[in-house]
Amino acid sequence: MTTAIAVSGLVKDFGSRTRALDHLDLRVEAGEVHGFLGPNGAGKTTTIRVLLGMLRADGGHVELLGGDPWRDAVALHRRLAYVPGEVNLWPNLTGGEVIDLLGELRGTLDASRREELVERFQLDPTKKIRAYSKGNRQKVALVAAFSSEVELYLLDEPTSGLDPLMEAVFQDVVQELRADGRSILLSSHILSEVEALCDRVTIIRAGRAAESGTFDDLRHLTRTSVVVDTTRPLEPVTRWPGVHDARVHGGHAEFSVDPGELNRVLGHLVDLEVRSMVTSPPTLEELFLRHYDEDIAGRGAGAVAEVVRAR
Amino acid sequence: MSSPLTGTRHLLRLVLRRDRFRLPLWVVGLGGMITASALAVPPIYDSPEKIAGYASAVGTSPVSYLMSGRQAAIDTIGGIVANEISQVAQLGICLMVMFLVVRHTRAEEESGRAELVRSAVVGRHAATLAGLLYGVGAAVLIGAITTTSMLATGLDGAGSVTYGVGLTLLGLCYVAISLVAAQLSVSARGALGLAGAMIAIGYVVRGVGAMQDSALVWASPFGWAQRMDAFGEEQWWPALLLVTVTAALLALAAWLTVHRDFGGGLLQSRPGQPRASRFLGTPIGLTLRMQRGLLIGWAIGLTALGLLYGAVIPTIPDLVASNPDIARAIGVSADAEQALIDAFLRYIFVFMAVILTAFAVTSVLRLHGEEESGRTEAILATRVTRTSWVRAAVVVTGLGTLLLSLLMGLGLAAGYGLGMGEWDRVAEQVGGQLSYVPGVLVVAALAVAIVGLWPRRSAFAWIAVAFVFFQVMLGETLRLPDLVDGVSPFWHLSEVPVEPLEALPALTELGIVTVLVMLGLWGYRRRDLGRS
Repeated sequence: MTTAIAVSGLVKDFGSRTRALDHLDLRVEAGEVHGFLGPNGAGKTTTIRVLLGMLRADGGHVELLGGDPWRDAVALHRRLAYVPGEVNLWPNLTGGEVIDLLGELRGTLDASRREELVERFQLDPTKKIRAYSKGNRQKVALVAAFSSEVELYLLDEPTSGLDPLMEAVFQDVVQELRADGRSILLSSHILSEVEALCDRVTIIRAGRAAESGTFDDLRHLTRTSVVVDTTRPLEPVTRWPGVHDARVHGGHAEFSVDPGELNRVLGHLVDLEVRSMVTSPPTLEELFLRHYDEDIAGRGAGAVAEVVRAR
Repeated sequence: MSSPLTGTRHLLRLVLRRDRFRLPLWVVGLGGMITASALAVPPIYDSPEKIAGYASAVGTSPVSYLMSGRQAAIDTIGGIVANEISQVAQLGICLMVMFLVVRHTRAEEESGRAELVRSAVVGRHAATLAGLLYGVGAAVLIGAITTTSMLATGLDGAGSVTYGVGLTLLGLCYVAISLVAAQLSVSARGALGLAGAMIAIGYVVRGVGAMQDSALVWASPFGWAQRMDAFGEEQWWPALLLVTVTAALLALAAWLTVHRDFGGGLLQSRPGQPRASRFLGTPIGLTLRMQRGLLIGWAIGLTALGLLYGAVIPTIPDLVASNPDIARAIGVSADAEQALIDAFLRYIFVFMAVILTAFAVTSVLRLHGEEESGRTEAILATRVTRTSWVRAAVVVTGLGTLLLSLLMGLGLAAGYGLGMGEWDRVAEQVGGQLSYVPGVLVVAALAVAIVGLWPRRSAFAWIAVAFVFFQVMLGETLRLPDLVDGVSPFWHLSEVPVEPLEALPALTELGIVTVLVMLGLWGYRRRDLGRS
């Protein structure tokens, strides 16, 4: 088996008017850490709930660890661990009890690993959940999931509320799991985390996969940013095909270029006598904003310009 | 313009907006029950003979004292109406204000929403005051409906007003008690438990005081409201007692608000176990752990109730001896005495069973509460099946119901034994209480079916509890048609110990329980889970 998650054409409706997932495709290979990105309300959590067999798909094909998440829910749950996005735990149990409880229920608790993780995440297991801060509750959920030796980890925004130190511990643990050949679906808004951990990403928008691939794949599809100084005025730049978001100030300009037009734009620039030039591949953040902004752009193009100007 | 009360108006608007269905449901439901009873009674007692008959039979029966206390002017139609509606009206108004007040005070604070609200321009006492105004408003509505429906049946004006005012003031007293409970406990459940216990104590103390005709009635707000003697002498000074105590409790609640941390209470949480027992890691273990507080609270309360009721049984013969009317009506003999005791027992059994339906439904609805809070997701993302998760809730509810029935029966037997010095009827008394368990289970199973099939309508299970309460308390008074009575599972069961136990109705109901549970399970297995 080489595919941990194979979702194609997944449809999920809530009532007759709300389409939460609209022919979503998502593929996570065994042994990879897969980033699952998208704006709030895009359908990330709904997707994970379908994968857990909490929600029944209304259409499309869903395969999890080679099984059907609805039909084989329990058999599959023995092989996965889940960290919910909104960690709501039993207020009258202690952190230690919740970790053991979830591990027992899963049936895959590794006691020595539990001890190690409690130590690494600096968790006081004798405190009642009620008394934990948000970040500490999050740590309880993480330790509970990582204490289980399973094939697949479904993590729904697992680091919200963690301090940078704990964020680093989290990243270390995920790296170890990856080295160990586990598969991880990581839904997150923290781009540095996704960039550091993920082999491939899927960007979801309005219930559809907008983009999927490695960072390099995605970068190739995306514009390069250029900052350039020339001897002659740069005004013509705005008229060249393939140039976007240009800001020109005499002999200084900042703009982005479509991948297919880069060579031609360079040719034009040479004519204007380049004095200095910096080109950079788009950062994940830019990639991200471009996809997220398409929603906003539909409503008002101003928002895009705003974002560009802000940076 | 910033005082500790700033923002009360906005909070009250928020409360009314959130409860735009809940409040009308309470007012229409409870007000409707009271109105229906008030209108139904006068046509039944339409002649002086019938009124005199009621006064000598019902008006002096120990069951009636326990249920409704000693009503003034029981030999007038006004007294009869007041006596008939008292139990539903008094318990109803107290439960209503308790649920409404705790919902908008401690429950909000526990959820963390109140923190967001308090961070806005909202004074320290605003939430408490909004809860107070809301509770007062609801109580006044019920009082007004009661007085209006009494007047509509042509009862004495002064008596109707006195009764309505007494009822409202009783409600206010419990608004204040609920507000104090909300300050003391860190959880909404704890606050409900505390306030609920105060209602039970007030009600039982008044009942026992009335049976003994002792000063004990003065230890209960229920007694104060009753001793305003509506339709009789009409004294107003007990009203002053209610108002004074209410004011003192409100001052206490305000003092507690100032002297505690936000989110805190008097009962703080201590460190617990760093490790879970193996048993906790099973669906039943977890469910049981979640219900632990609920079970212990109910066990203490119901055992105490059983003890108390058992202890008053031996006073029944004295009651007969002291009342020539009863003696004349039923004859003075050991058999007659026994018949009276049996009737009393039958009432206690069915009353406690009806109370138990509230436990059973609370227990089943935890299944829905866990789902709403998102925790079920964490459970079912493990190897736990939906079936075993529902089964755990069903088993814990079923065994809990059985255990509590057993404790009530034992309490009753112990109270009786201690009072009488007679221990030969223990099995009969415990068995008698257990014979009403199938009725409780039917209501619980209905709740399972609702959670499985219509999760968003889960609160409807409480309508079943309200209905059996209504049928058992008022079914005979209102002379309901069999078709309506027959909806209540308790109507079909043998009236142990007045009648011998028949197996068929009990077994049929257990069959219905099985079918309802299977339906609920079927629904739970095939529907989407989670908050939606």
